[in-house]
Amino acid sequence: MELQVIWRKVSEVVRGRISPDGFQRWFGDLSVSSDDGKVLTFSVPNPIHKFFIESNYLTLLQAAVSEVISTPREIRFVCTENEDAEPAAPAVEPTSRSRRERVDAPPVNTGMNVRNTFESYVVGSNNQFAFAASQAVAQEPAKTYNPLFIYGGSGLGKTHLLQAIGHQVLASKKSARVVYLSSEQFTNEFIDAIQHGTLVKFRKKYRQADVLMIDDIHFLAGKERSQEEFFHTFNALHDGHKQIVLSSDRPACEIEKLEQRLVSRFEWGMTAELQPPDMETRIAILKSKAANLQLSLEPWIIEFLADKIRNNVRRLEGALMRVASYRSLSEREITRETIESLLRDIFQEQAKRAVTIDQIQRRVAEHFDVRLADMTSKRRPANIAFPRQIAMYLARSLTGASLTEIGDAFGGKDHGTVIHAVKLVTKRMDEEKTRHAVQLLETQLQR
Amino acid sequence: MKFAITKEALLDGLQRTQNVVSNRTTLPVLSNVLIETTENGIRLTTTDLEVSMRCEIPAQVEKAGSTTIPVRRLAAIVRELPTSELTLETDSKNLTTLRCGSSFYKMYGLAKDEFPAFPSVAQTKEFKFKQSELKDGLRKTAYAISVDETRYVLNGILFSFKENKLTLVATDGRRLALFETDLEFPKSQEGDLIVPTKAINEIQRLLGEDGEVTISASENLISFAIGGSLLVSKLVEGNYPNYRQVIPAETKERITLEREAFLNCVRRVSLLSTDKTSSVRLNFGKNNIDITANTPEVGEAKESLAVQYRGREFSIAFNPDFVIDPLRNLPNDEIYLELIDEMSPGVIKIQTPFLYVLMPMRVSV
Repeated sequence: MELQVIWRKVSEVVRGRISPDGFQRWFGDLSVSSDDGKVLTFSVPNPIHKFFIESNYLTLLQAAVSEVISTPREIRFVCTENEDAEPAAPAVEPTSRSRRERVDAPPVNTGMNVRNTFESYVVGSNNQFAFAASQAVAQEPAKTYNPLFIYGGSGLGKTHLLQAIGHQVLASKKSARVVYLSSEQFTNEFIDAIQHGTLVKFRKKYRQADVLMIDDIHFLAGKERSQEEFFHTFNALHDGHKQIVLSSDRPACEIEKLEQRLVSRFEWGMTAELQPPDMETRIAILKSKAANLQLSLEPWIIEFLADKIRNNVRRLEGALMRVASYRSLSEREITRETIESLLRDIFQEQAKRAVTIDQIQRRVAEHFDVRLADMTSKRRPANIAFPRQIAMYLARSLTGASLTEIGDAFGGKDHGTVIHAVKLVTKRMDEEKTRHAVQLLETQLQR
Repeated sequence: MKFAITKEALLDGLQRTQNVVSNRTTLPVLSNVLIETTENGIRLTTTDLEVSMRCEIPAQVEKAGSTTIPVRRLAAIVRELPTSELTLETDSKNLTTLRCGSSFYKMYGLAKDEFPAFPSVAQTKEFKFKQSELKDGLRKTAYAISVDETRYVLNGILFSFKENKLTLVATDGRRLALFETDLEFPKSQEGDLIVPTKAINEIQRLLGEDGEVTISASENLISFAIGGSLLVSKLVEGNYPNYRQVIPAETKERITLEREAFLNCVRRVSLLSTDKTSSVRLNFGKNNIDITANTPEVGEAKESLAVQYRGREFSIAFNPDFVIDPLRNLPNDEIYLELIDEMSPGVIKIQTPFLYVLMPMRVSV
């Protein structure tokens, strides 16, 4: 049924049931503006019509509508008059405009990238848990996990998850106060507030947030006053049942120089780890990224990249961009060799992480022409001991292994021995011969 | 900080300011009163970030300074003190000591710099008028303010300054109260302001019968200076809807009623219409009104009231509370009830510029 026809019939019914003056006054300027089968929307000239019809004539109107249309409808009103258009006092106009901006304007100043949403997040077994926790938080802030603490290495999607929470909260409730910032920004603003004596304003900003998200919280380490301020902010929000979301590159208990009371609070709610993506997830990430950029890449290129770059999604995406831009700029066919030369630095960096103590020991033994067994033996004539110390030094600088692990790998030496070796080699780096040897070995190992 | 003050003066100041304080716990300092020494007394300030209140009271200051103390607790202690003279002393750690005769109290407070700055109303329009007049106007309108938070523009009283008149309007969608008074001001100061409910309640508490009140308004703030007190409130943002739409152009019947007798009748009858949706019915006959209520399974009531009435016989139903509210707040002995028919709004008027429109209940469609 056409909207005009609906209104004509409804108004006939209404006209018969109220006084002519009442009809003219409240329904005279009404019209039906839309009908989607569930909601019937009337447009009214001024909010006063909405208020009075809702309060006094809603049942009447509802009855009339259900007589005309057989299926029930929810009734809503929209105001056709631009509120500003009314010749109101100039004093009021700007404020009403600012209100509308605050309500309707997209979140401009949140500092969040609009592309970082849940939809664009590729879920794999490595991040499934953190993803689910984030979604739960976004759907019901402060109801489920508070605080939510997400940690994981660089480029694994911490920031993406945080901002996705922010976007989702804002999408479901526009008036929600979502504050997203890095801990560095927090510190800077805090220092600024101390300098200018605007602590009250600073506190107001953060303690009245509905959702406070702080990225890279580990940068608070060692900043005592910031930590204290954050401690109070945290308490105020947590007591007020407001959601707090934090991200860090390591678990809270491993952040050095972070006060114990903060550590315990961070571990209070939910802690979710992001791990490096597995092969399948890496391929999925590359495919979704390529689809976003409208690239069509041969499957072997994607697999090759996914195989070579394992630990960092950001780097993975960078490599993809590089290959894509190379292809768009030059007409040449892409081969394995071109990719390898294109991404030489990335692969090298990647290889650096893959160095094992075993490789170091082999390489060093080879270089100094000693037996591999000497690396783990207890014998210590200078011609064996020094290469072994260099190997320990390299193991310390090139692998993430702990002192004890290195000690064990060198035939059950204790960590003191390793420390001594590292110190000694560092000292002897002053000698040109040693420096050469060490640098040579480093480059060889990282290739 | 150290000062001596009488119990009555301090209690008066605390009672004027304590109602403003916030119930929110996010900023503990908001439940405190800021006490500062001035040249010849002390100044008390409270705020909930929407409404701020400040008042000055005389005291003998021995040492200048400031602190903030939980206001409700302080007021409760002061109220119960046995003798009239008391001294208050605060140390550098905001620990306040109160001595009064043989009584001794210590209270922990917060530093002044935690307390929000007092808002200042810049670029103002200024209006002055008699306290008694504003008090009268607010009393006659404030009960009709909407409590429905979704209609935020109606959560306050419209102060409309136009053509050398101040019009106060409050409505909740079922009734509307309007008060008007003459006021001299330059054309440049014309404008509409919506003052939120909380501020209205506090102003009503402050207003007395004598003296003037000074209203200053900027784009988003309004202040009321009354005696030694200053109240600053945020304004409700938005435009007040076109309330003139509600006021009937002309009415058919006009009945003069004795306010008190009518009020008592309606009040008694309403005892049998306890449920929110129920109503009282006014049945107009020759020189008589029957006021009835009928609630199924409860009972019914009927009161007759002799009036001067020669119009047609008809009946109209109203929400009893909406009839009682204006009757209770009007001072006049006689009021005029104007009606059109059983489905049109009723209007209550008095001899001075005042208007109350109330929508009828649609008891049977």
